[in-house]
Amino acid sequence: MKRHHLLVIVAALGLLAACTGGDEDGGASTGETGATSGPAGPVTLTMWHGYTDAEAASLDALLAEWNEANPDIRIEPLFVNNDKALQKLTVALQGGEPPDITYQYGSSLPQLAAAPGLVDLTAWTQQPEVNWEDFVQGARDAATFEGKVLGVPALIDNLAVVYNKTLFDDAGLAYPNDQWTWDDFRAAAKALTDPAEKRFGFSYPMDASEDTVWHYHPLLWQNGGSILTEDGSQAAFNSPEGVEALEVLVGMAVEDGSVFLDMQNSPYTGLFNSGKIGMLVTGPWDLSSFPDVDYGVEILPGFDGDHQTIAGPDMWCVFDNGGGRAQAALEFIAWLTAADQMKTDALATGHLPFRLSVIDDAAFIEGFGAAFPGVDVFAENLANVEQARPVLAAYPQVSEAMGLAIVSAMLGEKDAQSALDEAAAQANDALALAG
Amino acid sequence: MDRFRRFLVSDHAAGWAFILPSVVLILVFGIAPIVWGLILSFQEAGLISPEREWVGLDNYVRIASDPKVRQAAINTIYYTVLFVPTSILAALFVAQALNRRIAFVRFYRLAVFIPVVTSTIATGIMFLWLFDRNYGLANWLLGKIGLGPFGFFEDPDQAMIALVLMTVWGWLGFDTIIYLAALQGVPQELTEAAAIDGAGRWSSFWRVTWPMLGPATLLLVVWSTISAIQLFDEVFFVTKGGPLGRTSVVVFYVYRLAFEQGLGALSLAGYAAAIAYVLFLVILVLTLAQFWLGNRIIHYPS
Amino acid sequence: MVERPRRRLLPFDPWHLFLAPLSLLMLLPMVWMVVTSLETEAQTFHFPPILWPGTLRFENYLTVIRGSAFGTWFWNTTVVTVAIVLSNLVLCTLASYAFARIRFLGRGVVYLLLLATLMVPIQVVLIPTFLIVKELGLLDHLGALIVPHLASVFGIFMLTQFFRTLPVELEEAARIDGASRLSILLRIVVPLSLPALATLAVIQFMWTWNEFLWPLVTILTNQDAFTLQLGLATFQGSHQTQWHFVAAANIMSMLPMLILFLVAQRYFVRGIATQGLKG
Repeated sequence: MKRHHLLVIVAALGLLAACTGGDEDGGASTGETGATSGPAGPVTLTMWHGYTDAEAASLDALLAEWNEANPDIRIEPLFVNNDKALQKLTVALQGGEPPDITYQYGSSLPQLAAAPGLVDLTAWTQQPEVNWEDFVQGARDAATFEGKVLGVPALIDNLAVVYNKTLFDDAGLAYPNDQWTWDDFRAAAKALTDPAEKRFGFSYPMDASEDTVWHYHPLLWQNGGSILTEDGSQAAFNSPEGVEALEVLVGMAVEDGSVFLDMQNSPYTGLFNSGKIGMLVTGPWDLSSFPDVDYGVEILPGFDGDHQTIAGPDMWCVFDNGGGRAQAALEFIAWLTAADQMKTDALATGHLPFRLSVIDDAAFIEGFGAAFPGVDVFAENLANVEQARPVLAAYPQVSEAMGLAIVSAMLGEKDAQSALDEAAAQANDALALAG
Repeated sequence: MDRFRRFLVSDHAAGWAFILPSVVLILVFGIAPIVWGLILSFQEAGLISPEREWVGLDNYVRIASDPKVRQAAINTIYYTVLFVPTSILAALFVAQALNRRIAFVRFYRLAVFIPVVTSTIATGIMFLWLFDRNYGLANWLLGKIGLGPFGFFEDPDQAMIALVLMTVWGWLGFDTIIYLAALQGVPQELTEAAAIDGAGRWSSFWRVTWPMLGPATLLLVVWSTISAIQLFDEVFFVTKGGPLGRTSVVVFYVYRLAFEQGLGALSLAGYAAAIAYVLFLVILVLTLAQFWLGNRIIHYPS
Repeated sequence: MVERPRRRLLPFDPWHLFLAPLSLLMLLPMVWMVVTSLETEAQTFHFPPILWPGTLRFENYLTVIRGSAFGTWFWNTTVVTVAIVLSNLVLCTLASYAFARIRFLGRGVVYLLLLATLMVPIQVVLIPTFLIVKELGLLDHLGALIVPHLASVFGIFMLTQFFRTLPVELEEAARIDGASRLSILLRIVVPLSLPALATLAVIQFMWTWNEFLWPLVTILTNQDAFTLQLGLATFQGSHQTQWHFVAAANIMSMLPMLILFLVAQRYFVRGIATQGLKG
């Protein structure tokens, strides 16, 4: 009987603790990250990551190298799917058990900003060995929220066109080039579409997720539009420029019928690999899924010579679990993201380098392009990253509204203008609520 | 002292002794968390930051004016109404079919059970292909008899029906083995007696077997309703609430609010909890109604 | 026994006409998984998916076992599942018998309270349950996976319903003879309830074996405590999934459940000739 009583009491205490957890201050801690106070003795740090396959092998090799050279700072990895990383972190934070280092999507940054124990890295970025300015602009911007640097760039991608050379040859079309306009793209897609063969010229993610939306942003930006107004308080994507940009996609989908509407956002890789899709707008991560295709990579088509693209950065976040662990973690992260390790990892995995010094290293890029055909185009395309998505707490809801608008317009259920107007109204509501 | 001893051997003591270990466990790991969540629903709360602000019934009031909740509720009702009878009737039929001695029956039983243990992801992939508008087997077969092609998951109007088909398929084995176990309790003498009396197979089933399946049916109706109303995994992995939010059910919306949008500054976790508790009340009322009705109709041997 | 002779139109039982296609439909994903598990990675990138084995790379299975901590995952999952199934069989039987047969104070209220725990979605109670498990010091190892599930409400619900279908005369007779409640349960009720118990075992086994979300949030630093589902996830990257390994791992993971099912079948579908309750 006594044992049961104890359990009940402990449970009640736990409940009480949970309920009274609201007195602490939220927000990122301004840790002494620039100072020299290291850990008192040897530490073991937990590092959550979502790498699989070749990426995991590369990380393991790097970790082995570090652990051997730094017996006082031992890094223990734990695998967490990137899609689950935020949820798992949320639960862990509620329980006061965050990891020391965690890999997170860049889009999660506004949510994480309020996390207790998240280390503010602004001071740390000033340290010479970090060489912060060497990171590409887009990566640095994505890691910064309201002036504070809250993450270290871990991975960056961008969008470009991947096309099936064989299908182009069969249709007698010239390959895409870096002067292409969206009209050229649309024409090619139409020429590559063959209803009898159930083949489409283009594929678009239609699950109304961020994927749907971020494939649209480059067109919006190229055409001179923007997602939000300067002060970030109102939606601006339903401008004439925005509507025009969406109408390109809608025209292809509804009038030409040249777009495979990938409602689940997954069959497209298999279809492309089976020669059922002519062109994709995607990132370097998909290339290894196309072993059966003789593919080419080209930068995005443009409006009026503007070929800017969009980058998808992920980052490492550090949590302060006391005892000098944060400082140790940062020492490790500085090493992990240094130019040498970046090159090693890039050559092993095809990850894009995101340090200017590495990108400017012609010999390296040549070797890189030889090892991973097509990826060099992506690496060079990083120079076309001019803007980033707004790093705002309300962005997920803005994105949701835009996603639904894009999908309904491309399904032919609404015209582009009314779809975007409706989305703008919803986005404005969300932005107002966030205050 | 005698009274005490009588109490000890009384039904009350016995009853409580039997249930105590389970009740304590469930109290700690089931009830306590629910109370916590209930308290959360009266607050404006983030999940990442520990901030809490007491707002009383504000979250609940907000539910009434949220069009997304309304859509989620309609979707959930639609799904439940389609799923529960379909899955139970299908299972009843299949259980009858499997409850006989024919060749390969053990293989058939295993085959029916396999979807239950197949991961949601594998099931999702298969059904996405099966129901694919262009390349799917379903449209290919239907085309042979002059129907379709159907959009299934890709068509806002059909997606929910495709979801029902997929989940009925997934749960069939579960419901079937429960019915199979229940069928073992139907005394063969009764069905034989009915046969001797000249009753056809259908009538003997209806008059003899079906009433004896009452308790199992109540179990399945209550359980299926509770599960259907709380549908999540298939929506999360396969349809993601789409297309155009037509398969966004209540729990899916709650999840998005709590874990994808309610973090940090926007503090929607409390609101998400409020929605969940309204759902809880609905389920509770439905379940009580089902039990009440069940107890009137079902004949328990005693 | 009089049996009307039936005219047979077909050389086999007509039920096969229904059961065979049904089984095929049920097995479709399994077929896909088996085929995929034997493919090369390149072949997995096909849509429509290939359903006929082109290659037979059994090495995929070995790669999964040797190249990952498959053994550890399997062992962990086995320990957790066996513990939970056994505990459930004991605790749920005890509790259900009381709910079904013993009239005690508060029975209805407690039963309803237990059922209420089924009515709140797990996403809402995930965090508080986590906090409680943390307070009890169970985090990050198998205890976190086992202890919260030692008694399942579904199990209690199901067994209560089944116990109520048993005719009460046998138990009443034994009571009159002075038998204790416990001995009635063990010697009369349980033997008559083997189908239900076997069904519960299979269902609980299946749920525990396949559980993902709870292990995900409670195993924070200790990769040695990964269960099969967590381990399987290591083959699924955010942009890429190694389907051939996922499929192979999934198949290996499903085998124990299928074996258990085949064994338990004997209990929850007893030989038709021995049906019925004899006094």
